[in-house]
Amino acid sequence: MVARYYNGESAAVEEVALRVTTHELVIYRPADSAIVARWPVADITVLGDSRHEAAPPVVLRGGEARLVIEDPAARAQLASLVPALAPLSLPPEPVAPRLAGFSVALVALVGMFWGAVEYGTEHAAPLIPYSLQAKLGESVLDELLADKEMCEGKAGLAAINRLANDLAKEAGYKHEITVHIVEGGPVNAFTLPGSILVFYSDLIDQAKDSSQVAGVLAHEIGHVVHQHPTKGLVKAYGMDLLLKILSGGYSDILNTLGSGGGVLLALRNGRAFEREADETGVRLLEQRGLRADGVSSFFEQMLAKEPKDAAAAAGIWSSHPPTAERIAATKRSTAGRPAFSAAEWQALRTVCK
Amino acid sequence: MAPGGPWSAPALTPSRPIYDGKLGELYAIYLRHLVLMLLTLGWSRFWGRTRIRRYVWNHVSVLGDRFEYRGRGRELLIGFLFALLLIAAWAGLMYLVWLYVFHEKPFATFGLFDIFSLSVALIGFPLAYVGHYAGLRYKLSRTRWRGIRCGMAGSAWHYGVIATFLGFANAVTGYLLTPVVSVNLARPRIGNARVGTLPFAFAGSASDIYGRFLGYYFLNIIAWVAAAVAVAMAVGGTLEGMGVSFSEVLENLAKPTARTILLILIVAFAAYILFGLLILPLRCWWQAYLVRYLVSRSRAGNVLFATAITTRQMWGFLVLNYLIVLMTLGIGWPWVMHRTMKLIAGQLWIYGAPDGAAVRQPADRGPGYGEGLLDMFDVSGV
Repeated sequence: MVARYYNGESAAVEEVALRVTTHELVIYRPADSAIVARWPVADITVLGDSRHEAAPPVVLRGGEARLVIEDPAARAQLASLVPALAPLSLPPEPVAPRLAGFSVALVALVGMFWGAVEYGTEHAAPLIPYSLQAKLGESVLDELLADKEMCEGKAGLAAINRLANDLAKEAGYKHEITVHIVEGGPVNAFTLPGSILVFYSDLIDQAKDSSQVAGVLAHEIGHVVHQHPTKGLVKAYGMDLLLKILSGGYSDILNTLGSGGGVLLALRNGRAFEREADETGVRLLEQRGLRADGVSSFFEQMLAKEPKDAAAAAGIWSSHPPTAERIAATKRSTAGRPAFSAAEWQALRTVCK
Repeated sequence: MAPGGPWSAPALTPSRPIYDGKLGELYAIYLRHLVLMLLTLGWSRFWGRTRIRRYVWNHVSVLGDRFEYRGRGRELLIGFLFALLLIAAWAGLMYLVWLYVFHEKPFATFGLFDIFSLSVALIGFPLAYVGHYAGLRYKLSRTRWRGIRCGMAGSAWHYGVIATFLGFANAVTGYLLTPVVSVNLARPRIGNARVGTLPFAFAGSASDIYGRFLGYYFLNIIAWVAAAVAVAMAVGGTLEGMGVSFSEVLENLAKPTARTILLILIVAFAAYILFGLLILPLRCWWQAYLVRYLVSRSRAGNVLFATAITTRQMWGFLVLNYLIVLMTLGIGWPWVMHRTMKLIAGQLWIYGAPDGAAVRQPADRGPGYGEGLLDMFDVSGV
């Protein structure tokens, strides 16, 4: 049995022969039979295993010296003589079945992970403590509005917050809603985690009547009660994690492409969320006996202003469904009470003054 | 040797490293690693990386003796947790800065997120270099050849400072300092590495390679201009030829049909080929030269090194490997590793052999944990 012996003190290498007695592994020079080392069988072990290493070294526990046997047959022979050296010659695992097994497992796990993120978010998002969501929303709000002028009209803010909370209660939502109004544009409103709504005053200025503002507000309440901001974050985080794990962090360009895919996915989620918020908003207004035509008339007004609908033109790159589709889905009659009293509406119109 | 004694040529018998790993086996280890990564949400990566290294290291032999990798997954985990603590401490510090310096002061527009992300970007750049060096030290300290531990002297922080300074200086001078950066970063990495008590040495100088670099630098500019003109003419000409306006193109992109997607792929592929033909060979030409130079100026005692790596081989290493990882969505990574090891084994020539008895086991056992910073700030492979 021929091996290479490293003494652990220097990089000298010796070709040696081995003999196993009942108690010892005797390492000797084949030329003159001079003993190089005698290792008690009870104290020898293998570092690593033959499945990961071509020739795992045999060592004396606690020592630096090593014995390396290249010939698999010789390794197997030694392992048969010294049971503690079994990892020296583990039976080789056939590669093809392992490759097939791991590939199938990988595909199945990716599918499950994807499914869990896609469908599990519905259940996972509500599990995130509300205080955490609120904190996140507040820090994002601070960040977004750091250099913006806020509208401080007390009566106007009270009016919009009153309606927001009425609508949320109608949906059985438990938490307090806070609406902020930012001076200027764009003509937009958005929702943050932690029941935070932000309206831009340009939207209020350009609204033809109070029902339009109420319609948009109800739409945003739809986002709040369905926890869309939190769900969106959870989904984006989940997909990002999946891509990172799969690419193993070995390719930065892959991650870049992956985040592109992630953005597209987020936009698709965005479109689904918008449809759900439209539907809920209109339903909440109707349930309270309020005019529910505001959101569709607001969309019509936007479309008339911008006939080349940006959302439709952007297609799969858009965060919102095509406006015409949304108008058709939210079209309602003018029946119902106004959502704001005349005094409230007046206060809201001058909230920034 | 006594003065006037008989002269004898140093033993410079050439040899090459041997890599005898099998792609299928490497894939089996890698796919198992990916499966475990998914099951543990990435936390098994420390152990997975270790298994891959054990496989690759032990399938490389130099002068008939295989390398061993004796790192532990646990050590990488501890390193990562330390780096996490470091970032947490930094975040805390930035919070205090925000609270007492910026919050509700004239700079109120400067939010907490701004400060944190800006500062992380600022420290992340030097820390990635520190992580590179410390990671190399960790890997070497866990690598053995003939039972002797390898190692790395020098300070990782010192390297981080030099690398950051050189990186910055290179960027502001339009990358004209690249040879200075390459040589001065190679020097500590090569010169501080050792096998046991046998140190490596690096005797390169930036002035040796400036001529070739300047040739590459200006040819590269010309190639970019030529590529840009060619792309502009090709795209403009094609659109005109098809009688398509720009807005129609945008409309098509918004709602891509199978035909549009196919067309985009063809255009992207054509642009890549053009880019690949003009720009990348130039880069590979320079990189191959640089590698040849760095290798030939390195030695370990009386052992000399050389490589004759060609531009084409460098293209296979830099470009083809990149494409393999990209096109296979990362699954091709073991193939790339395999190709790289084969390339090193085929192209690195080692002249001579160390006097084994003179190379002693070092007293230093290396760091107790490793690679945390590398894991945190850098895309780190095996």
